[in-house]
Amino acid sequence: MTLNKDLRLRIAQMVKLSGEGHIPSSYSIVDLVEHLYGHVLRVDARNPRDPERDYFILSKGHGCGALYAVLHKYGFLSDQDIADYSTSSGILGGHPDMTTVPGAEASTGSLGHGFPTAVGTALGLRIQCRANRTFALLGDGECHEGTIWESANVAANLRLGNLCAVVDWNGSAAQLMPLDDLPAKWRAFGWEVHEIDGHSAEQMRATFAGLSFASEGRPKVVVARTVKGKGVSFTEGHGRWHHRVPTDEEMAALSQELQA
Amino acid sequence: MKKLRQEFADTMLEVGPQDSRLVVMVGDISHGILQPYAAACPGRYYNIGICEPTIVNMAAGLNKTGLIPVVHTIAPFITERAYEQIKLDFGYQMLSTNIISVGGAFDYAQLGCSHHCYTDVSLISHLKRGVVVLPGSPLEFNKLFKDIYANGLINYFRLPDQPHGVEFKPGEIQFGKGVRVREGKDATIAVIGTQLRNALAAADRLAGLGVSVEVLYFHTIKPFDSELLRASVMKTRKFLTVEELSAHDGLYNLCLRACVGINDVASGQIAIEDFVHGYGTYEELCGRVGMSSDGITRSILRLTANTA
Repeated sequence: MTLNKDLRLRIAQMVKLSGEGHIPSSYSIVDLVEHLYGHVLRVDARNPRDPERDYFILSKGHGCGALYAVLHKYGFLSDQDIADYSTSSGILGGHPDMTTVPGAEASTGSLGHGFPTAVGTALGLRIQCRANRTFALLGDGECHEGTIWESANVAANLRLGNLCAVVDWNGSAAQLMPLDDLPAKWRAFGWEVHEIDGHSAEQMRATFAGLSFASEGRPKVVVARTVKGKGVSFTEGHGRWHHRVPTDEEMAALSQELQA
Repeated sequence: MKKLRQEFADTMLEVGPQDSRLVVMVGDISHGILQPYAAACPGRYYNIGICEPTIVNMAAGLNKTGLIPVVHTIAPFITERAYEQIKLDFGYQMLSTNIISVGGAFDYAQLGCSHHCYTDVSLISHLKRGVVVLPGSPLEFNKLFKDIYANGLINYFRLPDQPHGVEFKPGEIQFGKGVRVREGKDATIAVIGTQLRNALAAADRLAGLGVSVEVLYFHTIKPFDSELLRASVMKTRKFLTVEELSAHDGLYNLCLRACVGINDVASGQIAIEDFVHGYGTYEELCGRVGMSSDGITRSILRLTANTA
């Protein structure tokens, strides 16, 4: 069963209208992002910079279609913001800009930056004895970057129990590096590892609800098995859809599947 | 004179207890001398390890939560290796940090070019919110750090291994203002960092040869005190820069820009053109690019002879 068909359709509409976007990278994470905003994160759309908020950093910035659709659903972004996606009059583009997007915590795009920033955020919150939690969503391809493992090492040694990473394990990485043992790698770095299906509402609910966020302890990673392009038959998998804008015919077919 | 690196540790110990937002992260250097700060400010000192890009990213995260980060390690590793982190995390995202480096140019003269840094000042200067301070004595670091560390910008301090040795009075050191260390009328020397020592020695020798040299010392490169340089060059019409920086983009460029519109100005530059291979003392490596009192004296004599 496909979750969040409405959000998937909105993502495709943004890309179609503007001619820019990464549909499959957004479809693999949209269920995770929706679950976090809907059930896990303590955030307030009326006060996105609330000092008491949880921090969610989308480290794989090219999946921002999913972030925008979810921020719109929960009232951080207006209909007009979505309509102006990737235009000069709007605030949303192909990677998020934290100086303009309410609810975006980091201006990601260059891979390997958001996650170590989240490590610093978690440390900063702990230094100040604050109970906010920090989440970072990263791509499995992004895990090719050295800074991911530098900071995974640092976070485990600092025992940042208030930090949770979520890895979108959609198989991008394995295309280039077939030694694709992500859970074992995170375990070896000293993290508490949870493996789930990133499109299963039940597994997301059970796993995230069960995490404990003591200020000192092992940081947690949820390695989520996902399908790139999940939800539309012809966008699923790897290849030409990575950075493709649908034609009119493809858009009609995509809408039909998502409205079925 | 006290070493700049020790003054850094002492200044952290002075500021840290007064400002609970200050957090120091180092890349496994200066660990010993920072222990008094670490003891005085529990939970606000971290020897993160050998991972400079991550340290810079983490500083952005700390700043997001309202803290004032101070990151400290060797200049090429923090500015050149981690430049994309500095650029995106603090420039693009408009966050704030303090970066305190050691080992600019030739301070690690026995360790080879991997430990030299010629481009740090230029790199930080490209950022509109970048601030570049090159303190050459302990007083300068202490005063300038306290003046600007909480300004919400990207503050870069390059600490030379050897102080220049001139004892300034606190009132003489103002952020963004150069210092006229010696008055003269025939030529201007603009100088940064430890090279002030060589510039003053050259000025003495030149005085004996009948050449009156004005020496301007710049501890702040960005913002640059164009007015001081301009006023001096209006008088002398000749300037020489002495800078332990890449010749391509540093003090000389700033001085040229400051002189736009002044007619008949002759100028020269002693700077670093390329990797300086080999090993030796700091003075020996400086000497290879003409940074000595001899080199400066010769350059000024050329400048004054050509334009007399």
